[in-house]
Amino acid sequence: MTTILGIETSCDETAAAVVSETGEPARPWRVRSNVIASQVDIHREWGGVVPELASRQHVRDICGVVERALREADAGWSDLDAIAVTQGPGLVGSLLVGVAFAKSAAAALDLPLVPVHHLAGHIESLVVDNGAQPLPAVVLVVSGGHTSLYYVPGEGDYRLAGRTRDDAAGEAFDKVAMLLGLEYPGGPVIDRTARGADDRAVPLPVARMTHADRNAGPALARPAGFPGTLGGRTEFSFSGLKTAVKRHVAARRAELGCEALPAGEVAGICASFQRVVVEALLDRTFEAARWFGAQSIGIAGGVSANSRLRADAASRSAAAGLPLLLPTLPLATDNAAMIAAAGLRNLRAGRTAPLDLNADPALPLE
Amino acid sequence: MERLIRSHSETDTIRIARELAADLPRGGTVLLFGELGAGKTAFVRGLLAGAGGDADEVTSPTFTLIQQYAGRLPVTHVDLYRLSALEADDLGLDEIVAGGGIVAIEWADRLVRPMTGAVQVHIEDDGADTRSIRIERA
Repeated sequence: MTTILGIETSCDETAAAVVSETGEPARPWRVRSNVIASQVDIHREWGGVVPELASRQHVRDICGVVERALREADAGWSDLDAIAVTQGPGLVGSLLVGVAFAKSAAAALDLPLVPVHHLAGHIESLVVDNGAQPLPAVVLVVSGGHTSLYYVPGEGDYRLAGRTRDDAAGEAFDKVAMLLGLEYPGGPVIDRTARGADDRAVPLPVARMTHADRNAGPALARPAGFPGTLGGRTEFSFSGLKTAVKRHVAARRAELGCEALPAGEVAGICASFQRVVVEALLDRTFEAARWFGAQSIGIAGGVSANSRLRADAASRSAAAGLPLLLPTLPLATDNAAMIAAAGLRNLRAGRTAPLDLNADPALPLE
Repeated sequence: MERLIRSHSETDTIRIARELAADLPRGGTVLLFGELGAGKTAFVRGLLAGAGGDADEVTSPTFTLIQQYAGRLPVTHVDLYRLSALEADDLGLDEIVAGGGIVAIEWADRLVRPMTGAVQVHIEDDGADTRSIRIERA
């Protein structure tokens, strides 16, 4: 069975994984190792993702991470059949470390080099954890940098059906956490703080485009072959919601005459904000699923770890009679197992690259 | 030269930015100042439209740090929100500016070194949809 080494360095994480084919179509990939050298501590100290710092850290960590991935898989270099790597999108300095490493390994071992789109990796994470996805499917990829909805008519065929027109959902979590004086990253801390609080404590606007916004410009171009148009309805917008939270917090601070709002009030803001974000994400996803006649729904990316999103998605998909695919936590955030698995899919389809492959920070998926 | 313009909506802000882009036929650097939610990204949307690109392509680069869009002039969209002054200095902005086109930099208060010849745009939130936009050109 084909075995591949996957490498992911598109942003914070230096990651490597070994994944093998199983030969079973229902559960095609077996993760033999999945190693991540988390850089979260470094970035917290520096307050974000610093391109120069991140690429230096990737250079420092990549050899050790790959060696560890091989060791944990009980595999040697000679057991590999191909090398997969994230080609983009991401920070160019970070991507280059992984791409250069993968090219060197492919050249030295005379193995095929397989480029992978980071979001195709996230979509593949659903198959790694749940087995083959009933198609056609609608998949929402939602993280710090991405909020994109894909229509998946066939295996490995991804068509953009909607995306955020301003902030990514994960970014909105980070910025609202900052407004409330909570820690970074904002996703987990808002999820925790919101637990048990009144999710209608604060009246917040629905996170969607207004009528005026829709008239401001043309809707996102639909890929060819789409039956009709969904209009602007599958686009996401979180910038206005962020501004509404800012306004509310500023008003309450002025009323109370203090910087720090009472804990109960912060919890109510978190719960209300989270409810509105989750409703916006799921409204569009389920609307697109009905429209495309999807047989299943997937939610991938770091924000899929949000407990409210998981619970609401589960009840909605049960009501709609559609299977819901979610990744386990290790595969929800950036990792290399998903890149290796997507690499196996690309390899099967003959999508390999010559050794002059370059990183592309703005790589499109289609 | 300094101009103070009142914007009453996001559409207004985009129009004001489009006019500024039209005044920069050979490109230039636009430094954007303003709090979260002031409308900096919306302003960049207008700059891209004015440079002959598709305004809808513009999304927040907070996570990606740098995004590039095609127009008659290329537009590079930089966001320093997550960076400290020293880190922003590490981003290679001089090279980006030397590359030409319009370079729009959000959270420009993070910059330590002045950028000569840059246009400064200060957006102030006056409540609801109203913004005061102050444009300073050298």
